[in-house]
Amino acid sequence: MTEAAIEIKGVTKSFRGKAVLDGVDLTVRKGEIYAFLGRNGAGKTTTIQMLLGLLDRDGGEVRVLGLDPKKDAIEIRRRVGYMAEDQTMYGWMKVSEISSFLEPFYPTWNRDLVRKYETQFELDPNQKIKNLSKGQNARLALLLALAHEPELVILDDPTLGLDPIMRKELMRDVIDHLQGAGVTVFFSSHLLYEIEPIADRVAILDGGVIVREETTDALREDVKRFILSESHFTGLPPFEGTLDIKRSENQAAVTVENQKGFTGLLKEHQVSFDRVDLNLDEIFEAYVIGRKEAGSHVPIPSLERVA
Amino acid sequence: MFIRIESSSGVPITRQILDQIRAQCANGALKPGQKLPSVRELARELTVNQNTILKVYERLCAEGLLEKRHGSGTFVAEDAPKGQLKEQQNLLKGEAERLVYRATSLGLSPGELVKMIEEIYQNPTP
Repeated sequence: MTEAAIEIKGVTKSFRGKAVLDGVDLTVRKGEIYAFLGRNGAGKTTTIQMLLGLLDRDGGEVRVLGLDPKKDAIEIRRRVGYMAEDQTMYGWMKVSEISSFLEPFYPTWNRDLVRKYETQFELDPNQKIKNLSKGQNARLALLLALAHEPELVILDDPTLGLDPIMRKELMRDVIDHLQGAGVTVFFSSHLLYEIEPIADRVAILDGGVIVREETTDALREDVKRFILSESHFTGLPPFEGTLDIKRSENQAAVTVENQKGFTGLLKEHQVSFDRVDLNLDEIFEAYVIGRKEAGSHVPIPSLERVA
Repeated sequence: MFIRIESSSGVPITRQILDQIRAQCANGALKPGQKLPSVRELARELTVNQNTILKVYERLCAEGLLEKRHGSGTFVAEDAPKGQLKEQQNLLKGEAERLVYRATSLGLSPGELVKMIEEIYQNPTP
């Protein structure tokens, strides 16, 4: 077995008595593109800062490339590339100056690679950082995160504030330069439609825990919506994998995980139904919004909702 | 080869790419012996995970629609036609399923749908 790039077990963190992370477990395998999803304020940045040793955890275990960020933060920073959310850099520096400023901190800094990326990313070394566009700023931040040839790259909402073309180009860079080179990529986002094509696996963080960690294909295969008659639905026994229930007129739209199990249940009770494929946005919504409304995974017949 | 990914669609991306390559082999847009882009090229072009493209190519090779030539890349298989006919029928079946679904949701009975199709057979639009 290969060692995991990132391992988080039972991690907790509270701010002023309010639990933000309430026992987070996740594993990122080496070489994979792993998307870390959650609503704004779900604790994505908190988790990422812990991985880099910028923030201490209250409890649980964290390993990044086998190292504990509590003890080996510097070694981790040397081997990991990090692009912060909405990263601000010294505006008065030129593109070339920030590279030479950062170089001494990293024994593995690769100047030729910096030059190569400057050309590929169309960054002018003589330009002042404050004069860069948002897209150029993101590309410079990515360049600086990659210049020391890290084994693992952590990107915190890298596409924030970028227009659709720039977002697509950044994702293309991730696939071409990082996946192509065997680098592990861990990135957070709340834009699901742009995650799905590029992620090997996704994790959904909600309510301080990972509610699902799965390959994108398997997630799509496992979570489906069923349309059936309301009266048939009410007659069914509670189903453990229920994520969301919507009712309108005399129909019920039920979103479940373990759709094979639910299909079996429906067939067993001879209930006719339509099964609908969902996109990642809808699946995400079912987990983070539906789950709360559906209440502890059990259908509540009194829960009315007009579609 | 032109492939279009619809990211808001309910259809998984792997299947979208599979279907479009199959369709293009079936309708002749991709010809036997034609070279396909490398995994890396296509992943870049579509902004899709390389493993996804790899899976698609491996699957289509296993189906006999594509063939891997050692060291030179992936090609449309020379002897694909047998498979192609079946693929074409599978694609049509998928479309028919959607048609039936649409008809059902509009409240059409099976008889009414069949009647509609028969009328189209009798008066085909050019």
